[in-house]
Amino acid sequence: MAEHTLDTATRAKRRYRRDMIIASVLYVGAVFAGALAIRTFAPPQWALIVLALLPLAPALLMLRAFIIFLGEIDEFQRRIQTEAVLISAAVVGFSSFAYSFLEEWADFPRVSLIWVFPALIGVWGLAACVVRWRYK
Amino acid sequence: MRNRLKVLRAERNWSQADLAEKLDVSRQSVNAIETGKYDPSLPLAFKIAAVFGVSIEQIFSADDVAQAAE
Repeated sequence: MAEHTLDTATRAKRRYRRDMIIASVLYVGAVFAGALAIRTFAPPQWALIVLALLPLAPALLMLRAFIIFLGEIDEFQRRIQTEAVLISAAVVGFSSFAYSFLEEWADFPRVSLIWVFPALIGVWGLAACVVRWRYK
Repeated sequence: MRNRLKVLRAERNWSQADLAEKLDVSRQSVNAIETGKYDPSLPLAFKIAAVFGVSIEQIFSADDVAQAAE
């Protein structure tokens, strides 16, 4: 049983790491391929939309990998991750909400929405460290 | 919630890692339960009781119940 347990946890982590690496490589490929196609071929509007949404597919694969990982880890680890996701959603959500008012009413510089998703991931990672430390 | 996890583990000479393997959870999970920072779900509490071969009540007690008994 002990051997099986270790293998289960290790398998989950390895699968998660493998899926994230594959999705990351596909994401970088999609971004570069999309940018190159737009500059080279001057595609029509519908193709621009398709190319612009292309990096979304590997990003969804990342989300899928995380959801699978969340289902495989034990309940305490799951608690840490879900708390971290909630903190990240709250911090990034309220920060972007506040900043949009600053943009509109206080002439703050415009920031692209593309930074919201990386901010969510980054704050989630930091929050997971803090939450884990709090349970020690 | 209070628990006697550390005592029961020591009686059997098990490390946290040993218990974690038997429960199919991480060592951090065992530590968090042992120190009272995380209360396990009912299924995990049953699993812990089964691993030690005792009832749930012999491991876990609510804070106010434990204080009343003292």
